[in-house]
Amino acid sequence: MSGYSELIKNFEKTRDYMRDFFIYGFKVRGDFGQKSARTYDDEKRRAESWLGDVLRYDDSIRGRQISISADSGRIFENPLYRAYYSKSFTDNDIKLHFFILDILRDGDTLCLKEIVEAIDARFGTLFEEQTVRNKLKEYVDEGLLKSEKRGKTAFFSICDICCDLPPSLADAIKFFSEAGHFGVVGNSILKAANTKNDIFFIKHNYIVHTLEDILLPDILRAIDEKRSIEFKSFSAKRPNDTEGHDFTAVPLGIFCSVQTGRRYLAAYIPDQRRFHSFRLDKIKKIKLGGVYADHDLIYQKFIKNLPHCFGVSFGSRHDNGHVEPLKITFSIDETTEDHIIRRIEREKRCGIFEKTAENTYTLTLDVFDPNEAMHWVKSFIGRIKSIEGGSEGLRERFYSDMERMYKMYCETE
Amino acid sequence: MILFSEIYGVYFRIAAKVLSRESMTEKEITDIITKNGFNDSILFLPQKLLPSGGDWGLLRKSGAGFTPVLKHKPAFIPTRLQKMWLKAMLSDPRINLFLTAEEKAALDQKLADIKPLFLNNHFFYTDRFSDGDDYSNENYIKAFRTILAAVKEKRILNIQFTSGHGRRIAGHFVPLKIEYSPKNDKFRVYCYWLKKGKIINHSIINIGRIDRVNATDRTFARQLSEKSYFAAERCKEPIVVKVTPERNAIERFMLEFASYKKHTDRDLETGVCTVKMWYENQDETEMLIRLLSYGPVLEILGPPAIRKQAAERIAKQKDFTVDSQKIALYNLYSIKKYIGG
Repeated sequence: MSGYSELIKNFEKTRDYMRDFFIYGFKVRGDFGQKSARTYDDEKRRAESWLGDVLRYDDSIRGRQISISADSGRIFENPLYRAYYSKSFTDNDIKLHFFILDILRDGDTLCLKEIVEAIDARFGTLFEEQTVRNKLKEYVDEGLLKSEKRGKTAFFSICDICCDLPPSLADAIKFFSEAGHFGVVGNSILKAANTKNDIFFIKHNYIVHTLEDILLPDILRAIDEKRSIEFKSFSAKRPNDTEGHDFTAVPLGIFCSVQTGRRYLAAYIPDQRRFHSFRLDKIKKIKLGGVYADHDLIYQKFIKNLPHCFGVSFGSRHDNGHVEPLKITFSIDETTEDHIIRRIEREKRCGIFEKTAENTYTLTLDVFDPNEAMHWVKSFIGRIKSIEGGSEGLRERFYSDMERMYKMYCETE
Repeated sequence: MILFSEIYGVYFRIAAKVLSRESMTEKEITDIITKNGFNDSILFLPQKLLPSGGDWGLLRKSGAGFTPVLKHKPAFIPTRLQKMWLKAMLSDPRINLFLTAEEKAALDQKLADIKPLFLNNHFFYTDRFSDGDDYSNENYIKAFRTILAAVKEKRILNIQFTSGHGRRIAGHFVPLKIEYSPKNDKFRVYCYWLKKGKIINHSIINIGRIDRVNATDRTFARQLSEKSYFAAERCKEPIVVKVTPERNAIERFMLEFASYKKHTDRDLETGVCTVKMWYENQDETEMLIRLLSYGPVLEILGPPAIRKQAAERIAKQKDFTVDSQKIALYNLYSIKKYIGG
């Protein structure tokens, strides 16, 4: 394991391993076939180093299984944030970080030459001007430094220092760092301010989403600037898909499922003239493209289509496709099962829910892809009187599923 | 603006902590590394921090210890990315629970020239429940803040609320932790229920169901342990399920139930996974219906009581299914008769 470092240059490879360790938990070394054994050993050791307290090992006949075992609803801090705190750097990076900020903490506004001389005078290290110039530019971009032009010369000063987080703001950051988008950024504020969340738990917490956050800045920028993006998308159904497919698409939003643990890029594919949702955890290598001329028109259509999406699917139709209604009839005892009525009301999404007879209620879903609703519909097993609409295949599958389940649970008892 | 940058990294953070001290011994430095670093950091960091020839030149030897070469203690300078995140946080309706209008305006003013990192309309929740809490309701905000302060102070609260079954309950409670569910879009508070100063029960209260909450002038003196509280809430036996690879069920299941603590065994020949999953007793029905929604590609193997509940629902469904198939057959018969088939 010579040359091993617990810090990494590239987040993408680690993202895959961490995800697999967390999501599956049953994979052994041989299952990471497409990567070399050395890569696996290094990634495993890194996971051990970053996440030692939440790792679990199980020996099976196939080898040792490594998994990230955490009850996500009972942790104060997402352990996967630690992957973001592992970026490698050069000796000059860390020296210049502390030296430049220390020089400018004197309160002066200095030009490049003065900063180089001050570092030499205070710390006895003479850096090349170009090296310092690059770091100053980087820190202006990151918002640590301010620059102003005086004639042709740029002068630099330090941005505002944060002394203490007011308690109410600290509480807000504690909450949003675990429950909000890009929580790792909030977590980095807490770390810098020497505090941590000790108040909030997040139920139904899909901590693995943080690994996809690395993609979001480019996607959100493309949305704001009405640009297209190019990317690779890999199959969720074929784990051996190592090649992926190239797409050019116009991003329109991020679909978040708080029940299935998946997030999607919702986009328009101009070549195919259709909307499509791409699993974020299966996307790699995003490149920003040009401005998409018809963006506003497409966005309007997208918003118009949303009430016909039960989940994330736009079906197989083109952007003006028709809608196939699905009608589910439920048996609900009105006198004793008000909680079921309330449950359907709050979970029905775009459906129309109405009472059609005594103790009988109907939900009508005018959706692009009725198949998508069936997973949820089956959570009402025991009270589904009938399924109408959708496709014949959908209805056949439902009835055949019920038959199989009956054999599975009731004929073996 | 980069999310994955060394300036947020563990090594920079440890170096800043070390440089915040006037002077320290080698042991104190290694203690800081052990406490704040990754497990392997201790193998890499000491030789970079301590003067050794190949170090970063951040410390100098001084007597028996080391002192920073810096003139100033490192300070927290929020980056643009962090400010953009704070700006985005300000437009979330839940911010009202934490900041007053004045505090919000002051922070907004400070971040006047900053663009938010994201907008709420960038994200679409596809399956969030529609009866989430009302974060603009003044009574709700007041109750939330009273509870938040009480969690921090271990203050005893006088709470009156309506339970999920419609019962009016009033009593003294000491709140332990606050929980948020993105699926329900609701906050709940985990409490100990007190009578005459003694714990009589656990209670989970939806903040949206609170009718009245007042802070008392008393705090709870005894140590509160969330570990023992939540251990008592946990199921006695894990639920055991068998998931087949059919319809990509393993991938779907593993993602959906990723938030639960679990242990998985996979059969090499069939690819079938047997999964043990630990859950909290309050979630039993939710677990059952979520598992049933996988249909025949997932089987609940145990505990027997949960399997029995599943079987009862399926048997009940069978009656409906037979009825509706009869209707479908009758319809088919009528159509055939009509067209003379």
